[in-house]
Amino acid sequence: MSFSIEERGRPNTQDYRVFFKNSDGKYISPFHDVPIYANEAENIFHAIIEVPRWTNAKMEIATGDPLNPLKQDVKKGNLRFVANVFPHKGYIWNYGAIPQTWEDPNHKDSDTGCCGDNDPIDICDIGNKVCSRGEIIKVKVLGTLALIDEGETDWKVIVINTEDPEAGDFNDINDVRRLKPGYLEATVDWFRRYKVPDGKPENQFAFNGDFKDRDFAIQTVKSTHEFWKALITKKSDAGGLNCMNTSVSHSPFCCSAAEAEAVVKSACDFGSGEPIPNSVDKWFYYDK
Amino acid sequence: MRPQLLRSSLGCLVTLLSPFPASCTNKGVTRTAAAVTSLYYSRKMMHYQTEERGHPNSPDYRIYFKTSDGKYISPFHDIPLKAESEKDNDVPAKKPKSEMKVLYNMVVEVPRWSNAKMEIATKEPLNPIKQDVKKGKLRYVANIFPHKGYIWNYGALPQTWEDPNHKDKETNCCGDNDPIDVCDIGTQVCSPGQVIQVKVLGILAMIDEGEMDWKVIAINANDPDAEKLNCIEDVRRSRPGHLEATVEWFRKYKVPDGKPENQFGFNEEFKDKDFAVEIIESTHEHWRALVHKQTHAGGIECKNMSCCGSPFQFSAEEARAVVQSAPAFGNAHPVSAEVNKWHFV
Repeated sequence: MSFSIEERGRPNTQDYRVFFKNSDGKYISPFHDVPIYANEAENIFHAIIEVPRWTNAKMEIATGDPLNPLKQDVKKGNLRFVANVFPHKGYIWNYGAIPQTWEDPNHKDSDTGCCGDNDPIDICDIGNKVCSRGEIIKVKVLGTLALIDEGETDWKVIVINTEDPEAGDFNDINDVRRLKPGYLEATVDWFRRYKVPDGKPENQFAFNGDFKDRDFAIQTVKSTHEFWKALITKKSDAGGLNCMNTSVSHSPFCCSAAEAEAVVKSACDFGSGEPIPNSVDKWFYYDK
Repeated sequence: MRPQLLRSSLGCLVTLLSPFPASCTNKGVTRTAAAVTSLYYSRKMMHYQTEERGHPNSPDYRIYFKTSDGKYISPFHDIPLKAESEKDNDVPAKKPKSEMKVLYNMVVEVPRWSNAKMEIATKEPLNPIKQDVKKGKLRYVANIFPHKGYIWNYGALPQTWEDPNHKDKETNCCGDNDPIDVCDIGTQVCSPGQVIQVKVLGILAMIDEGEMDWKVIAINANDPDAEKLNCIEDVRRSRPGHLEATVEWFRKYKVPDGKPENQFGFNEEFKDKDFAVEIIESTHEHWRALVHKQTHAGGIECKNMSCCGSPFQFSAEEARAVVQSAPAFGNAHPVSAEVNKWHFV
């Protein structure tokens, strides 16, 4: 199973979009049409990479738009770039989401005490390769952090790209602790402080900021897959989410390839990008 | 955006705007950069251009330097160490020297957060910037977790030289045969070959593979924080963690290449600005002796365009011939994914 992307609009502008296609060249939704599992028996999941490691542009699956392309988040009318909080440069993993999952905002999680953030579940890929925006990779789940971001449950699943040469050495969260010392601590630190330069408070965590292990993480991912199944079959209220898809045949939101193509064709033509503003290079320092 | 320039006889704010527009010559690509000014006093603007040759990320890539009137120069020998002093400048200083804040020129070699080990080629005529090669391979500095590439803009002070025949009293080590190195802690990410003016704030006594290798800590004079930073303590206060990270970075950066951790003099402490200035002055004197042939050059290419009394002066035609013999500028070569590996040491 392979996927490709089609860029539309101009990079680093508000009209930039990354659409997705399957191996037949048909347009798909990365949220609804990429299978959650690359290998269900072995718990190998797909992950959509939204933000390559060491970059700042806050690219996201546009959950409210038809076909859910990637687009850059906009806050207060401006393109959003995540701050560099010393010693970090941009994101410190390839960051993205597992398809066919949904953190239901109507469901209060018993561990965090908070409702879901209305998005697919987030992943942090600790592999060495810097992936490209929109790349779809196969990952092993290693553990999870329970972030409470602005009062909403926001799991951060720690994964490794199965193509990483060292992937075989990583099977659970302790392997990360052992083989990449400091990485998990840096991950908590990053999520705790990344919005402070924007004037937001430090984030909080459930479980005292401890990482839960692989089995717990896999259960969490599977439960968000169940929430998504209810969403895509209209058993749960979609709210502002767009559930248009081309492959979930029993979904009332399933549409034809032609309808999907019409969505993409109505997007701006691809063009050369704008430079990233120099302000994005600022390094923010805080005493811990 | 075009560079803007304001001058008055009373001294005033002069600003820099330079996103590096490129123009193509026959075979090279020229970029224009304005050297920046102080926030308080007017200074003579120095414009340097760079001309790229060969293919970025390949062994033939070179960045040559020229003045704004197109004359090729050496960034090692022909760019003044201090921003306000020019040997052939008859314009008197606007204020007495003691009142002027001293700024130094810095030749940027490696932009913050990048990995390619770009260096002034001390052994090539006109000393262009090129990428270091080790064991036949282009050198890229490792990413030492939690850092990505270099954690400052890194470069050199022109007209300085750490003499390998000179043994430092504190560390008992000889110089590394290079201009003195500088780390610019300013916010702007500079480009290779960019010449900026910096305030010196302090210095670290690194011993790199047994050789004396001072690291000057400085800030781009154009940085919004530059006015507030005047000593190493100011750096510690305004950028908590960065000095400690600097020591760790230099300690470990060669470990992934199989080298041991580096060591430091003065108990790994940063010495303050006055001490830094003394060290810089002494490397400036060593350089002066070098270009006036008073000391053994040991492979260094001393050819220069402007050092009066230097036996190594050469002509504009000779300089042009050197550049024109370099390969035409071309597309960058791809970089191996290996360069993105994050090392946990």
